[in-house]
Amino acid sequence: MHISEIKIFNKLPRLKTSYVKVGILMSLLAYWGVILVGTFVTFN
Amino acid sequence: MEVFLPIAQVFVNPIEILLLSAIVGVLSGLFGVGGGFLMTPFLIFLGIPPAYAVANEANNILATSVSGSTTYYLKNILDYKMGFMIVIGGVIGTTLGIYTFTYFKGIGKIDTVISLAYMYILAIIGTLMLVESLREIDQVKRNVLAKKKAHVHYWIHGLPLRMRFPKSKLYESIFTPIIIGLIVGFIAAIMGIGGAFILVPAMIYIIKMPTKLVPGTSLFVTIFVSVIVTFLHSFNYGSIDLLLVLMLVIGSIVGVQLGQKLGERIDSSGLRALLAVLLLIVGIAIAYDTFFADEIIKETSKSVKSDLNFFSRFIIDFSKEMPFFYGLFSIMFAIILGVGAAFLRRFISNLKGKIFIKS
Repeated sequence: MHISEIKIFNKLPRLKTSYVKVGILMSLLAYWGVILVGTFVTFN
Repeated sequence: MEVFLPIAQVFVNPIEILLLSAIVGVLSGLFGVGGGFLMTPFLIFLGIPPAYAVANEANNILATSVSGSTTYYLKNILDYKMGFMIVIGGVIGTTLGIYTFTYFKGIGKIDTVISLAYMYILAIIGTLMLVESLREIDQVKRNVLAKKKAHVHYWIHGLPLRMRFPKSKLYESIFTPIIIGLIVGFIAAIMGIGGAFILVPAMIYIIKMPTKLVPGTSLFVTIFVSVIVTFLHSFNYGSIDLLLVLMLVIGSIVGVQLGQKLGERIDSSGLRALLAVLLLIVGIAIAYDTFFADEIIKETSKSVKSDLNFFSRFIIDFSKEMPFFYGLFSIMFAIILGVGAAFLRRFISNLKGKIFIKS
């Protein structure tokens, strides 16, 4: 059996891309969270 | 080495200002964006009070847009009629913006308002740019072509009082450019930016102008808007510092030229994501400065008038005793520097051509 035929190796790059996308999305959400909470706290 | 800015009343390092404005100029030339929304926060980080940073950056934008639009004027690729319509809206927006500025200055909240406005603008542009560039990279990887709608109609296209714009080959309501100009003018007055990041997409996607006419017309509008912003800031608050403007103009004009040359040699589409990240970082730095570092007292060493040199004393006296003429002088100063830079660029380009032909 060749390594290229093993399904897990084919799935790895796609899995990595998904993790990167989720990471960027979470960072953007955290970023906007800090800004919005900060504005709210400053004006209170 | 530090230099005292007589109007802003702070000590700054001229090399820092020149380097920063050159770096922002390179980014402007490379990505085709105005540098105002990056340079004003940098000036604030250097210790210049936000109200002064906004006014002086507006004067710097005047010089760079005069320099840039001279080229488009010579090539006759700008729509004056459309430009004047946007300018009408821009005048109303700028006046409203200055009133808002005066209101917040009156209640002592102007610095917070400017910082918050920058934080949100940078966060919005950075997020949109990052999402767009990641989508592009993803599509290139998967070899997928983005499907674009041929023609989209918004409510703004149904407005009355339609007029023909022969140069752009459009039949559009006069309210469309006026509303866009109003928004740009308002933001420019409060934040000291040219507003090209709103104006350019609006001209392409909302007004639907031919792309080749967009940069020239955008710069043409920016000249008028920044003239009004510079004059009103100078006349109302005396906040234009000619020494700071001189440093900003020299740095940014050199930087823009370098950026444009660099843009001809490298593909900047991949770097767009990096610019987006830079915008987000500057945005979060402003957030930190506004939310957590309020207690840090910035060193604004007040200098006694007798300690100042002749040039500094002249600037202070001129701005206080003749605010109207000082405003006019600031505008003329920026225009002369801008036109001078455009001719210098042409001279160098011709000289290079001659040397190239000889060799």
